Amino acid sequence: MRVPLDWLREYVQVDVPTAELAERLTISTANVQHIFRRGVVDENGNAELYLVGRVVEAGKHPNADRLQLCRVDVGEGELRQIVCGAWNFGEGATVAVALPGAVLPGGTKLEEAKLRGEVSRGMILSERELELGHDHTGILVLEEGPEPGTPLSEIIPLGEDVLELETTPNRPDLLSVYGVAREVAALYGTELAPTPGNDPPLAGDEQVDVRVEDLERCPRYVGRTFSDLSIGPSPAWLKARLVGAGMRPISNVVDVTNYVMLALGSPLHAFDRTKLAEGRIVVRRARKGEEMTALDGTVRRLDESDLVIADAEHPVAIAGVMGSLESEVGEETSELLLEAANFEPIGILRTSERLGLRSEASTRWEKGIDPYLAEPAARLASELFVELAGAHWTGETDVHGDLPEPAVVSLRPERTDEVLGLETPPETQRELLERLGFDVSDAEVSVPTWRARDVTREIDLVEEIGRPRLDEVPFTLPARREMFGQLSMEQRLRRLVEDVMLGCGLYEAYTPSLVAEDPSPKALRIPEPQSSEQAVLRTRLLPSLVEAARHNVAAGNDGIALFEIARVYLPTGDKLPEERWTLGAVLQSGFARAKGVVETLCAALRLEPRFERGEDPLLHPGKTARLDAGPVGELRPGLLEGEWSAFELDLATLFAEVPERPEYEDVITYPAVHQDLAFSVPEEVAAGDLVDTAREAAGPELREMRVFDVYRGGQVGEGRKSLAFAVSFQSPERTLSDDDAAALRKKIVEALAERFGAELRES
Amino acid sequence: MDAEALQREALSAIDAASTAGELDELRIRYLGRRSDLKQALRQVRDRETGMALNAAREAIEQAVAERQARLEGAELDRALTEESVDITLPGERLRRGRLHPITQIRREVEDIFVGLGYEVVDGNEVETVEYIFDKLNMPEGHVTRSPLHTYYLNGDVVLRTETSASQVRTMEAKPPPVYMVSLGRVYRRDTPDPKRYPIFHQVEGLAVDKGITLADLKGTLQLLLRRLFGEEREVRIRTSFFPFTEPSVEADVSCFICNQAGCRVCEYEGWIEVGGAGMVDPNVFEAVGYDPEEVSGFAFGWGLERIFMLRHGLPDIRMLWQNDIRLLEQF
Repeated sequence: MRVPLDWLREYVQVDVPTAELAERLTISTANVQHIFRRGVVDENGNAELYLVGRVVEAGKHPNADRLQLCRVDVGEGELRQIVCGAWNFGEGATVAVALPGAVLPGGTKLEEAKLRGEVSRGMILSERELELGHDHTGILVLEEGPEPGTPLSEIIPLGEDVLELETTPNRPDLLSVYGVAREVAALYGTELAPTPGNDPPLAGDEQVDVRVEDLERCPRYVGRTFSDLSIGPSPAWLKARLVGAGMRPISNVVDVTNYVMLALGSPLHAFDRTKLAEGRIVVRRARKGEEMTALDGTVRRLDESDLVIADAEHPVAIAGVMGSLESEVGEETSELLLEAANFEPIGILRTSERLGLRSEASTRWEKGIDPYLAEPAARLASELFVELAGAHWTGETDVHGDLPEPAVVSLRPERTDEVLGLETPPETQRELLERLGFDVSDAEVSVPTWRARDVTREIDLVEEIGRPRLDEVPFTLPARREMFGQLSMEQRLRRLVEDVMLGCGLYEAYTPSLVAEDPSPKALRIPEPQSSEQAVLRTRLLPSLVEAARHNVAAGNDGIALFEIARVYLPTGDKLPEERWTLGAVLQSGFARAKGVVETLCAALRLEPRFERGEDPLLHPGKTARLDAGPVGELRPGLLEGEWSAFELDLATLFAEVPERPEYEDVITYPAVHQDLAFSVPEEVAAGDLVDTAREAAGPELREMRVFDVYRGGQVGEGRKSLAFAVSFQSPERTLSDDDAAALRKKIVEALAERFGAELRES
Repeated sequence: MDAEALQREALSAIDAASTAGELDELRIRYLGRRSDLKQALRQVRDRETGMALNAAREAIEQAVAERQARLEGAELDRALTEESVDITLPGERLRRGRLHPITQIRREVEDIFVGLGYEVVDGNEVETVEYIFDKLNMPEGHVTRSPLHTYYLNGDVVLRTETSASQVRTMEAKPPPVYMVSLGRVYRRDTPDPKRYPIFHQVEGLAVDKGITLADLKGTLQLLLRRLFGEEREVRIRTSFFPFTEPSVEADVSCFICNQAGCRVCEYEGWIEVGGAGMVDPNVFEAVGYDPEEVSGFAFGWGLERIFMLRHGLPDIRMLWQNDIRLLEQF
């Protein structure tokens, strides 16, 4: 909502600098997004360079066919020669002149200049140059009367500051200059002018035929008729206000309806009465398939959920959204039917969403406008029709059901203090509310109708009292009893996983949880995604990480190693999917590195995982291992260029095995015995199986057994390989003797020979 | 002989010796078997002369030893210097990665609130309409309920548009007091542009207890914003509107780029908007079975991306989803 300040000052006296007013409103009413200037800047005497001039001589420029050479009286005694490009005036015209040195709206500084050989000592201004409208086909011809040299600011609104308010949806009352003035009056404790508009004399007893078939969707319809009006341009003050408020002046009648909407917040519509079949208005639901050409020129197809304003035959407006082209007020219009109605918000919202059609009116109606505003709006419009278009007001009807009574809410002043943490004496509370239009009697507060939707409870009154004082609320912290903060075990472990990944050289990636495709056909789909790239709720992280790796390859990065901890969403058959925290990683290196990272992670978590041979659609079938928590392996060739590995682990599975408190084990007192053992085994025997068997055979005194070399060829023989292990024996109870170690070793050698045909290789 | 003169002469010669060889010659000259001193010592007859000569000998011996130590030290230094390496060559670095910027901010915020005694709750990202809208007092017809703004999996299930559903679930699960923050992904049907991405991260905080006030909210936000943006920042609140809070406010932090002198980042306002907050609406308490006459509370919800982008000057939110190592390495 744009609020021109001169307009605002018609309703409330406020003399603070614009920036200060803007800040006050921002804190207590609605955010002022911008402050701008409509028209001429009034600084450093700039406004004094704009004068009324009278054209004394006007003729063709000797060197240019399209220019006029004028001599203009601006009250200086001698005439000024001014070159002008417009031809809509002649000798004797009263015009607006800017003298050299003047800064024009928009910021250009006017200089004395030679145009095609003739000096021009000023500028004759158009409406657009003064930001009084959009017309730039000719210059602005003023009414005769003011003496040459009269300051232009005495004749037209030369310029003013405009505030652009970003209003919240609960405050449709702020979508009007008068509504903002009410706030300003409340904030500054100054007086608010009475609602603008006085009924002109009624000059007729026209029966206005309005039938409302749906009082729920249209709780009120004030119809007024006017005759003998003449369409023409609006006066400068009205144009200035509309332009300041961001609307385009069109003609006096249309401008008045827009002006009243901006002034009071209740949208109006004017029909050319002669274009209404039987001169009647019927407010009804559209018939299925009914069509209407709206003011924007598009044919709109309506259905029964849409409310329309119809005449005896056809819709003439989509209620609250847009009028029809057919019933539009035009240059010939002399008979008017003015609609000052009220529409229920959700219906308007649905219709305008369905049709993709929004207007200044619909954006107001959809927020819920006070039905009591219809009458003052009709009053102000009538006054202006008579004043500006020479109309006669000939008749009125006001159709409505039961209009809501002002709600009454009780308020405990101490409650206000409890919520705000700031003391506000009951008298002050009462005063603040009354300034906003609330009626306070003891503990009962009656809510003004323009706030009826927003203020229904005590807490809403507390907000009203708090708004003007937000700056005064102190900074405190909750007293905090019975509480402590700590990350949960799972959250701490997730951080540990992140840290281990960093230590292993991986960068953390964030990839979207909505993907184009997922390996699982059961993955949940968004029924109507706005982009096919984000259509499925993923069940795997790896495809997204492969994508992220691909981006890095394309960017020319190398040594790529990415991990992500995020959720996957597994369908359950219930209403909600199962969301599981998952660790995924993709590395630009072979199987051993990915497995090494997983092993490092397991060691950090104090886990001793078992790797089984595994398979996964995204991984290399021969180079994939599997833990209970998920697979680790080389990426299936073709997904990315070169050698890549990956893993994807379910964190809950991993964390379930993490010992909460490790028990002390004596590994210090009695030294370990270290030996290297190499076995020749058939090629297909897995190292892990040898270790498992050795552990079974030797028992807990076999403390560690780790492969440090794999060798093929030479004396090992065809179809066999040699696996060299670093072995250590240790007992927590005694020092193992050489004989003890030899006995353990013998058990291992025998067990491996028996189970796998392993031969100990003597070194 | 004049022991003192001899000593003076010897000490100054020793002091001038610049190599081990020279020093050795001097040692032989003054202390050797054939040196004047040794010969004189052999001929000593009286105690006084003996003492003087011995004192001179000791002084010379000590000087030789000291000089020798110094020369050897210098020699070693010289030898070591010849082994010197180019210290500007790179070291043997270990590979290490980086946390994603959003994780860094997430941890920062979590730690601040854990320090204040809050728990960190990870709620579900897929939620029912009941928990994401109904119980948060979101009226029918509210724009975020529209499928144009929210991802619906079906009429009843949506991707959360904010993390607040976890607040409702936490309150339903236990009696007050509740002090919690939830951080995580939220989803809104936006077309990606430099400021918006359909998935982003929020931090939402909730404090419910006896006697919680708007002043407590103000103080908590001030503390958080000063931790994030600098202790000298000012914080203000201004009126706003959200269905789940009443009164509702927006919080602003004083511009840390220009210190409120006016700049592009704060759009010459001096203040930067960080996000919405307010006192929990009594309807929300009633929906979870808390008595709004007994307890009150505040809540706030902000975007982590916005905080990060503001603080570090990142121009485009989409960069946070590209995972380019060159970008990740910067933070």
